[in-house]
Amino acid sequence: MAPVRLSNSLLGTFRAASIRPANAWRQKCLYHSYDYTESPPFPPAESAILSSAYNHVPSHGFTIDALKLGTRDAGYLDVSTNLFPRGAFDLVSYHLVTQRLALKDNVQFPGDGEQGKRMGVGAKALAIMAQPTYIPASLVELAKLADEIWFLAGDQSVDSSWYTKRASLSTIYSATEVFMTQDKSANFTETEQFLDSRLEDLMKIGRFMGALGEWGNYTGHSTINVLRSKGMRI
Amino acid sequence: MQASRTQLGRQLLAGSMGRVSREPYRCFSCSVRQAQQQAPPPKAPQDAQGTTHFGFQTVAEALKEQRVGAVFSSVASSYDSMNDFMSLGIHRLWKDHFVRNLNPGRNPLTSPSSGDKGWNILDIAGGTGDIAFRMLDHASTINHDAHTKVTVADINPDMLTEGKKRALQTPYARTPRLKFVEANAEKLDMIPDNSIDLYTVAFGIRNFTHKETALKEAFRVLKPGGVFACLEFSKVNNPLFDAVYQRWSFGAIPLIGQLVAGDRDSYQYLVESIARFPSQTEFRDMIQDAGFLVPGKGWEDLTNGIAAIHKGVKPA
Ligand SMILES: C[S@@+](CC[C@H](N)C(=O)[O-])C[C@H]1O[C@@H](n2cnc3c(N)ncnc32)[C@H](O)[C@@H]1O
Repeated sequence: MAPVRLSNSLLGTFRAASIRPANAWRQKCLYHSYDYTESPPFPPAESAILSSAYNHVPSHGFTIDALKLGTRDAGYLDVSTNLFPRGAFDLVSYHLVTQRLALKDNVQFPGDGEQGKRMGVGAKALAIMAQPTYIPASLVELAKLADEIWFLAGDQSVDSSWYTKRASLSTIYSATEVFMTQDKSANFTETEQFLDSRLEDLMKIGRFMGALGEWGNYTGHSTINVLRSKGMRI
Repeated sequence: MQASRTQLGRQLLAGSMGRVSREPYRCFSCSVRQAQQQAPPPKAPQDAQGTTHFGFQTVAEALKEQRVGAVFSSVASSYDSMNDFMSLGIHRLWKDHFVRNLNPGRNPLTSPSSGDKGWNILDIAGGTGDIAFRMLDHASTINHDAHTKVTVADINPDMLTEGKKRALQTPYARTPRLKFVEANAEKLDMIPDNSIDLYTVAFGIRNFTHKETALKEAFRVLKPGGVFACLEFSKVNNPLFDAVYQRWSFGAIPLIGQLVAGDRDSYQYLVESIARFPSQTEFRDMIQDAGFLVPGKGWEDLTNGIAAIHKGVKPA
């Protein structure tokens, strides 16, 4: 399995995110592209609001404000954000699901830059995901995302490395997302390089198990940073 | 006092080890009350036409309103201690959580300016103003919103008087942000259609004669996208805890009611009305039947389900 292909499909997800958020499951949504259908993870009203809110993420981040703006765009009220018991996390979760579902449509044609709009919110989203209540749900979504990436990259292994590969890919995914938020290079070439070298490490050394801990590390740090930025003394 | 409380606790525990059934609660005071007021004999589980529940008794519907009124008139002043007993002292925390979670108010810093300023909140069965004051405090201090207003509606003038009295201790008395109206939740004629952002009812709905009618009224007065939110005693989900709590509420509270307020019957009613109230899922289904969308599974349990918060959103 070529690292290049893996790298393409992984980078594809970062770009996919900003291209067609909602289309993915408005069309027939397929898990593993052709295995079986998956019911939409949010009911119609919630989906409508989340997809409008998603458009506000680039400027407002994964925040309750983005959610409020989305409810208004969708013809609802500020108070309607009560439809989301998990608040901003539902937006993060929407982001993860959307990327996974959009993946198969974009992997063959990784965005050529013109659409590769930066999300610039990775750290914040990861911080939300790392909140103790949301870690289980975050891990599930990240695992599914990693699964889809490996699948599209041509991996069909059924041995125990199946698990470790997915864990390590989630780690790289999170790390890349954090990296991307800092990346000022044209067309995210530095992110691409960063991603390539991480993937190479993964192939070469195969330190799969340690990788999961690293994911915790990344998200843990970004949580602390976000809290600090809010004036908490840690 | 300390000693007797420990003893009480022991008795409660001992009791819960034994059989837990409704039978022992058909207490002396209930039978006296039944005899006095000549309520029709209980016909549970199917209600005969025109009758409803008053605690575990079945009474003519017209009577219930009157009797609920009497209960709250008689507990109006000792009302807080009653809530403290029923909730093991944590109803204040639940109310704080309830309000914080609804996050009332429109923050002028983060909201683009548009026509409407602030939220229009209707607090039904708001009696003492407990929820209303919290809403206004949250809107003002957390969201810097000086426009959000609350209308407190209650069927009982004594409770409203108590609320107005307490309002004098707040900055909201005699401002356009706080209003009191006497109204039955089942018939809110003075409130126009589609005019409310947030409808709240805390520890009130179990007293309504027709809960479905009240839910329909809520749906009518809410704007599209508006939210129905209900905080109410509910069903404890841990069986052991449930047994203990049942013993506490049925065994101790009416007794305490007698000692503290000299009014055993009213407290007995309150305990029974809680036990009668539909389970979390049943009530969620009722909310959906009234036309609301529900967030997630539809409710949030508080303290093991002693209370629960149910929400519904009117589709836009
Ligand atoms: C237990 S108190 C709750 C007061 C307050 N919301 C709180 O949480 O502290 C119940 C209130 O419901 C009111 N009530 C009972 N039936 C009602 C009805 N049909 N319509 C409006 N209010 C009602 C009573 O008068 C009483 O004030």
